Amino acid sequence: MTEKNFLTKTLTETMLTRRSFLKWSAALGGTAALAGGVSYGLKVAQATAEKAASEGEWVPAACWGNCGGRCLNVAHVVDGVVTRQKTDDTHPDSPDFPQQRGCSRGRSQRQRVFGADRLKYPMKRAHWEPGGGDKSLRGKDEWVRISWDEALDIVASEIKRINDKYGPGSILWGTNAVAAAAGYVNTWGSTSSGTWAYTAPRVITSQSNMGNDRLDMRKSKLIVMWSTDPICSSGGSPAYHYLQSKKAGAKFIFVDPFFTNSAQVLADEWIPIRPGTDTPMLLAMGYTLITEDDPATNPLIDWDFIKKNTIGFDNTSLPDGVEPDENYRDYVLGLDASGHPAPVGHKNYPAKTPEWASEICGVPPEKIRSFAIEIGQTNPVAFMQSDALARVNNAQSVGQAFVAIAAMIGSIGVSGGGFGQTRHAAAGNRGPNLINLGSSGTVLDSPKNPVSARINNNEVWDAVLTGKYTDGVGPKKDINIQMVYHTKGSRLQTTVGQAKGIQAMRKVEFALTTDFHLTTGARYSDVVLPVTTMWERDGYVTNPNREAVFWASKVIDPLFEAQDDAWIDWQLGLRLGVYDPNLTEISNLQQAVNRVAGATVVKEDGKTTEPLVSITEDDLKALGVTGEPQTGRIPIMDFKKAGSYQVPRSEGDNFTFIALKDFRKDPVANPLDTESGLVELYCQKLADDVTALGWTAIRAIPAYIPPERGYETTFSDWENKVKGPYPLQMYNKHYWRRSHSEFDNVLQLREAFQQEFLMNPIDAEARGIKNGDIVKITSSEGSSIRPVLVTDRIMPGVTQLPHGAWTEYDESLGVDKAGSDNYLEAGVPTVEGHSGFNSQNVQVEKWNGPGLAPDAQWPQRIPLKEA
Amino acid sequence: MAKQLGFYFDSSACTGCKACAIACKDRSSLPVGTNWRHITDYGGGGWVPDPNHPDLLIANNIYVYSLSTSCMHCEDPACVNVCPTTAMYKRDDGIVLVDASKCIGCRYCEWACPYGAPQFSEEKGVMTKCDFCQDLQAQGLDPACVDACPMRALEFGELDELRAKYGDVQAVDPLPDPNITHPSFVMTPHKNSQPVGSGNGKILTVSGKV
Repeated sequence: MTEKNFLTKTLTETMLTRRSFLKWSAALGGTAALAGGVSYGLKVAQATAEKAASEGEWVPAACWGNCGGRCLNVAHVVDGVVTRQKTDDTHPDSPDFPQQRGCSRGRSQRQRVFGADRLKYPMKRAHWEPGGGDKSLRGKDEWVRISWDEALDIVASEIKRINDKYGPGSILWGTNAVAAAAGYVNTWGSTSSGTWAYTAPRVITSQSNMGNDRLDMRKSKLIVMWSTDPICSSGGSPAYHYLQSKKAGAKFIFVDPFFTNSAQVLADEWIPIRPGTDTPMLLAMGYTLITEDDPATNPLIDWDFIKKNTIGFDNTSLPDGVEPDENYRDYVLGLDASGHPAPVGHKNYPAKTPEWASEICGVPPEKIRSFAIEIGQTNPVAFMQSDALARVNNAQSVGQAFVAIAAMIGSIGVSGGGFGQTRHAAAGNRGPNLINLGSSGTVLDSPKNPVSARINNNEVWDAVLTGKYTDGVGPKKDINIQMVYHTKGSRLQTTVGQAKGIQAMRKVEFALTTDFHLTTGARYSDVVLPVTTMWERDGYVTNPNREAVFWASKVIDPLFEAQDDAWIDWQLGLRLGVYDPNLTEISNLQQAVNRVAGATVVKEDGKTTEPLVSITEDDLKALGVTGEPQTGRIPIMDFKKAGSYQVPRSEGDNFTFIALKDFRKDPVANPLDTESGLVELYCQKLADDVTALGWTAIRAIPAYIPPERGYETTFSDWENKVKGPYPLQMYNKHYWRRSHSEFDNVLQLREAFQQEFLMNPIDAEARGIKNGDIVKITSSEGSSIRPVLVTDRIMPGVTQLPHGAWTEYDESLGVDKAGSDNYLEAGVPTVEGHSGFNSQNVQVEKWNGPGLAPDAQWPQRIPLKEA
Repeated sequence: MAKQLGFYFDSSACTGCKACAIACKDRSSLPVGTNWRHITDYGGGGWVPDPNHPDLLIANNIYVYSLSTSCMHCEDPACVNVCPTTAMYKRDDGIVLVDASKCIGCRYCEWACPYGAPQFSEEKGVMTKCDFCQDLQAQGLDPACVDACPMRALEFGELDELRAKYGDVQAVDPLPDPNITHPSFVMTPHKNSQPVGSGNGKILTVSGKV
C-alpha cells in the first residue's frame, strides 16, 4: 500500500486505532523530512521498537474542559497511544473522602485526542489570496495542506498588512505577539455567571464566597435548588455531595422550567417556573414573608439580620438623600412614600403579590405563598442557585432579589444554611482552597495590548458588520475590524448571534483559527493552525475543588504537526520582529514543578500550613528541572505518579466553611466589600455602574424589568393574552454531551446524547408534532432543524435546546442542521452586558424537508482527505 | 471461586449520566453501535389545570428514573440456551461469555435475550457482550462500570451476598419479567418506580426505545 493510500484509509476511520496509528507513524517515519522537519513519526517508530514488549503505563492525564467537573483522568499509554482510561483510584472511596470520579465527557478524552478528525497540518483555504480573495467561500472552500513556514508567513504578513492599512483596532482577538506588533480589540461581558458578575460584589460578596462546604450542607433541613442541575453542568462529585445531604435528611425543592436529572434523584418537590421570570417569583415570596410574618405567632423573617446586616430593606436603612419609598419593602408591597398603596403609574405600583407574579412566572399563587412560608419557617435552609436565572436579558435584579430572600429567611452565615451560587467546580462545596499552588516562575513579561477598544459580546458581530459599537452612554463609536483571530476559545460557536457571526466572518479580510479540531471558527477561517491538546504538553496543575490538587503529566508526544499555542505565538512574534530571539521562556514542566514546589497545604488545625511536597536533589535530577530541595507532606514523585493529592475530610474536622459567618456575627468588625459594608438591598453602586454602561437604566432596589425575549414578549398583546409571531420561550441547558462546545465532535458522546429539541406534549400536539419528528425552530435570527423529544419534563410554553452543538449551516436549505443554540440566540445587550442565553422566543413547526441522520452517523469534520 | 457473580444497581441514586456506559465502551474500545451497557430513562406524569386557576397548568406526578443494565449473567441465560454452536456459555463463576472462535454470527442470542445484551460486531462478524471485566477482576480490580459511577450506584459481587445486603428486587418497569431468565441482578428501586409490565410510563427517547 502506498503511503498516500494508507493515509486515506486511516483517515476515513472514525478513530485512529492503535494499529492504524502505529502503521501511520511507521510509514511517516521513513519520510519525516516531507513533514516539514517534524520528526514525530520517526520518534514513535523508534519508541515502538524499543517498547514492543512493554504493557504500557498509567499516566495522570488532564481533563481540561470548562465544564466545572474537574475530575481525575488517568490514561493507559502503550507505545505512545492511549488504549484506555480510568478515573480516580488513588485512595479508597467514601462519602467523606470521595474519589474524584469523572463523567462520560472526561472518559471520552482519548476519543478527542486520537479522533480521526484531529487537525494534523497547517492548512489554508484553497482559494485564499492576500486580502481574502473570494470571501464568500469561507465555510465552503476546500482545504490545502501547507507547511508551518508558509502558514506563519501568511499570518504574519496579513497582520502587518491589515495593521498598516487600517491601523490599530482592526484585529479582533489575538495573542501576545499580536498585542506587541499591532494590538487587538478584545471582547467583554459576563457569560457564565450572567448578571451575578456585577451584582454579587456590589450587593453582597464575591461569587466565590457564597454557599457552605459540603460537610456543613449535610446539616441543612431544606435545600432549595433554583435553576441548577449539578449532575449535568458540573459532572463529577457535586451531585454525590448533595446525595449525602439527602441521606442526612435534607428535603430538596427544585425550582426550574425542567424536571432535571439532578431533580429525578434529589427532589422531594419540583416547582416548575417559566425561564426569566424568577425575579417576579422572588419578589412575591418577599411580599408573602413580609405580610405573613408575625414575630410572636408566625416568625418568618430574621429581623435581627435584616436590621444589623442589611441596608435598604425599608425606609429606616436608606443612605442619605434617597427618596424614602425607594426601598425593598415599599417596592414589594407597592407602597408610596406615605405608606399608602401606590397609584397606577407610580414607580412602586403594583404590589408584588403572588397573584401578580403568578401571571408572569406560571407558578400558582398558593404555591408561591406556601413555598415562601415553608422556607421562612424552616431552619436552616440552604437557598442555592446556579447562574442560569441570571443569564437572561435585563435580569440584573434577580441576584439582589435572591439575596433579599436569603437574608430574610436567615440563610446567610449560618451552619446548614448558605445562599447564592452553587456552580461549576465549586457546586455543592464552597470554601477557600485547602491547597494553594505556588507561582509558575515564568520569566518573560506579557506585552501590553495598546488597543483599548473593547466590544461587548452581544455586539461583536454587529460591530464587525456595521462598524459601530457601544462604549458607555452616548452615541456609538466607530470600529473597523478586518481580521478575526480565533485563539483559545471557540468564539464563533460560543457567542450569541452566530448567524450574524457567519456573515461577519465572510466580511473581514483575514480569518485565522488555532485549534485541534475543525471547530466552527476554524471552518469559517482562511488559515487554520493545528495545536496540541493538553495531553501533549506538560504543565497542567490545578485545584479541581477546594480539597484537592491535580498534576497531569504529558501523556504523549504531539500528534502529527500539532504545536503548542506558545510555540505558535513565539514563531509569529519572531516573524513580526517583536520578540528577542535570545530570550526563552522556562519549560512547561519547570513551570509545573515550580507551582507544585510552592504549594502549601492546610494542616489539621485548619489554620497553619506546610509545603505540599518534599523534594530531593535526586527528584530534581529525575525531573530534569532546577530547584531547591525541601521538606513537605508528600514526596513530589509520589504526587506526580498519582496525579492527585486530596486532603482527607471527616465530619467535625477543622475545614468547615460557612460563608459570611463572621459578618453575620459582627458586621462592624467584619464588613463586606460593598460600599456600606452591609448587604445592599438598596445598592446605588450597582444602579450607577449598570446605567453607565449605556443600555439599561436600573434602580438601586431589585425592581423587575420584563426581559427582552422573555415570557411577556411571546405575546403581541399582553393585556388580552394574544400570542405573537414567536410564541414559545426557548432556553439552553448544559448538556452531558459537551462542556460548552467542547466534545461535540466525539462520536460515542453523539451516540449517547443526541442533540434533541425539547418541548411539552401540549405545545407539540397543537402543532401536529409527534415525538421523534424533525422540527424547524425559528427565532428572529434564523432557523434550526432538529429531532424533537416531546416530554412532560418541560413546562408547557417552554422549549429547550441543549447548549453548544457545532453549527452545520446548510446553504441550500437555509437552516442550521445541528441545533446550535447560539445560531438562534440574538445578541441583545442589556444591563451589565452579560449574554442572555436563556431568553429567546421561537416558533416551532414540523419540518417537511430532508431528514437528519442520527448525530453519531454524521461525517466527521476531516478537512484533508489526503496528506 | 464465586458461585454466581452479579450486579447491584441503585436506581434511587442514578441520574442517568451514562458514565458507566461510556467507561464500558472505553475499556473495551467499543465502536458506535455496540453498547454492552444501556441506560434507560423512564418517566410519566403530565400537566393538568390547577383546580383554583383553570387557565394555569400544573405538573401532576411527573417523575423520571433511570436504569443502568448490562448483561445480567442470568442463572438461566436465554442466549446460552438458543446458541446453536455452544459459543455462548456460562462459566463456573456464573459469568456468561461468548467464544468468538465458535460464534457464527447467527444472532439468535441477540433475538432471545430480553435485555439486549449480546451485541453483534459488524467488523468481526461475531457476537460481543459484557464479560464482567473478567480481566480486571482477575487482577483484583472492579469492573469499569462500577468504578466509574459518580453516584456510587453500581456494585458487584457474589449474588447471594448482594441479595442478603440489598434484598431481592430484580426488576421495575420497563425491565423484562425476571422469571424469564433469572438475572443475576439486585436493585434498589427509585421511589417512583413502576411495577414490571405496568406500562405506566414511557421510555424517554425520540424513538421511544432504549
